[in-house]
Amino acid sequence: MSDRPLDLAIRQAPELHYIDLSELKISNCTGCFGCWTRTPGKCVIRDDAPRVYPYIAKSEEVVYITKVIYGGYDTIMKTMLERAIPIQQAFIRIHRGETHHIQRNVAPKKATIIAYGSTDPEEQDLFRQLVARNACNMNFASHEVIFTTEEMIDNTVNNILKQWETSSF
Amino acid sequence: MGNIFILNGSPRASKSNSKQYAEIFSKNYLQETIYKAISKTNQVQLCRELSHYSDVLFVFPLYADALPVGLLHFLKTLETNLPEHKPTVSILINCGFLEPEQNEVAVKIIHLFCRRNGFPIGSTLMLGSGEAILKSPFKYIAIRNIRKLAKCIASGNHQTIQATMPLPKFLFRLAANKYWTKYGQKFGITKKQMQTMETEG
Ligand SMILES: Cc1cc2nc3c(=O)[nH]c(=O)nc-3n(C[C@H](O)[C@H](O)[C@H](O)COP(=O)(O)O)c2cc1C
Repeated sequence: MSDRPLDLAIRQAPELHYIDLSELKISNCTGCFGCWTRTPGKCVIRDDAPRVYPYIAKSEEVVYITKVIYGGYDTIMKTMLERAIPIQQAFIRIHRGETHHIQRNVAPKKATIIAYGSTDPEEQDLFRQLVARNACNMNFASHEVIFTTEEMIDNTVNNILKQWETSSF
Repeated sequence: MGNIFILNGSPRASKSNSKQYAEIFSKNYLQETIYKAISKTNQVQLCRELSHYSDVLFVFPLYADALPVGLLHFLKTLETNLPEHKPTVSILINCGFLEPEQNEVAVKIIHLFCRRNGFPIGSTLMLGSGEAILKSPFKYIAIRNIRKLAKCIASGNHQTIQATMPLPKFLFRLAANKYWTKYGQKFGITKKQMQTMETEG
């Protein structure tokens, strides 16, 4: 799932799904909690987000490609991550010693976050802290953050795809 | 101490907990407070208005471990529309979970923005259990700490404060689950329905 178009070496594989958020129409979460209390599991805003979060839920491996701003996700990726809360329940569990939401059918996943647009070590450190926090809320069984430049994104993603292809066939 | 500009960064500003927190703050801040909600259309105007204040207080919820995206848009707008005079930035953040420290990353994001853009950093209140605390017997804890925040900002003796319901985690879980079950009932949705494991078909 990327916040910009990618030039991928493999586009089609039965177990692979590529989402370019920049070409989707996804509006901001309004915090109505409809997805927990009115139409559980489904967002009441029927734009493109409800086509995306089922993939987030069922994937055992995710690769998110995002620009970094002020040590966090830039707006395109952040908008989608907020709109993914229908895949959690309102109810609370205790997870890794803290209170978090119970997940619906969300596969535990290996997450790789490819982050571009930041060369500041302090900012990179903050971004790592953010992803570590996400890990508790987004069911990451393991996660890795890779910083890269805008020019190197395609290369970085294609390397991951190659590794994934050799390990899964 | 001067007048303070309170900016609500909650996406559901008019019905938000943040709005209530801002109201409690206003009651406890001796100088004038001006309250506005950040919307899609007023951002450039708000950037200009910032110049008139010695202090600004961002009141907002934690969203996906960070700032609600609308507030992030505002910071980007602010970066390209910097006011002539930069007010000191204080924060009143609340999160749904019990642990106030879950707000730390979001606070650091704002602080990084401030350092990059030359805004002095003021005080911070991180509230845990912020979705429900005002509707609970622990409301007084929220009020007491907001009052403390107001004092810190007024005196310029800046601090970072944390507060939450004084409950063990298992009791918070029980209380939260009751809260949400009732919430669903208002819409005719049962607990069982809310517990569905399915998302879109
Ligand atoms: C999309 C979304 C994401 C949220 N993410 C978090 C989170 O990561 N951690 C947390 O403790 N609470 C989270 N919350 C809960 C809110 O922070 C909490 O309900 C808060 O009280 C809302 O404040 P408001 O009424 O001022 O908007 C989230 C809520 C929404 C709607």
